[in-house]
Amino acid sequence: MSFCLETYLHESENYQILISRAGFKECKKLIIDHSPEVIYVKAGEKILGVRIIGIPPIAIGINEEEGTVTLPYTKPCYGTAVVELPLDKNELESIRSLNTK
Amino acid sequence: MKRALILLGCPEAPSQTPMAVYAVYKLTKMGYEVTVASTPSAMKLLEVSDPEGYYVSNKVDIESCLSKLDEESYDLLVGFVHKDAAVSYFVTFYHILNVKSLAVVFERDSDIMENLAKDIMESTDANVVSARAYHNPTPIRVKFDRAIKHLEE
Repeated sequence: MSFCLETYLHESENYQILISRAGFKECKKLIIDHSPEVIYVKAGEKILGVRIIGIPPIAIGINEEEGTVTLPYTKPCYGTAVVELPLDKNELESIRSLNTK
Repeated sequence: MKRALILLGCPEAPSQTPMAVYAVYKLTKMGYEVTVASTPSAMKLLEVSDPEGYYVSNKVDIESCLSKLDEESYDLLVGFVHKDAAVSYFVTFYHILNVKSLAVVFERDSDIMENLAKDIMESTDANVVSARAYHNPTPIRVKFDRAIKHLEE
């Protein structure tokens, strides 16, 4: 079964919220500052089973050494959060392939 | 039949629900089949406001709508925007749908309102109208009426 971010965040505690209830631009800057590698994706791109919401180009952070991805997560009433979670190499590679830059 | 999607944000702004009902009414009169995408709480406000679905007959959860959305699933996108998250949602729907779009920005603080509108204008080619409003829907209604008249021309 493929990875689903919504289910993962509900059922696992193995993730970090770096910021929550924030603005999209603030979250983008945090992802860029926090991540050793940053890729940029289109608005609405499907990553880990969900569409990534935001103003394109949307920054997604990758930390190869730690094996983590850092991405924005937006809800209408709660603004944008930045979530960092562990992923296996194959998942990281498939996210990397979505880079538009 | 032409299809329009109305995107609602967080329902904490009192003028959003009456504007949603009004927008469905106007677009239906213009010949659109209208669907409203919203959070469950915004949908409850619509259900109580229009209990028999006289105006709003097609409602969909914003998350499930987004997950199934394809290019040109609708012919017109109208978004009500009064928060940063609503900008993100509108811009995302805009880029997926790639159709004629109108963002209706409203806020009581003019600086915040201008920034929300600027973010949309910088990242889309959508029509953007803005009004200083929160409780009173009239300034929004006036701007909305002018904008949809312009869209039809």
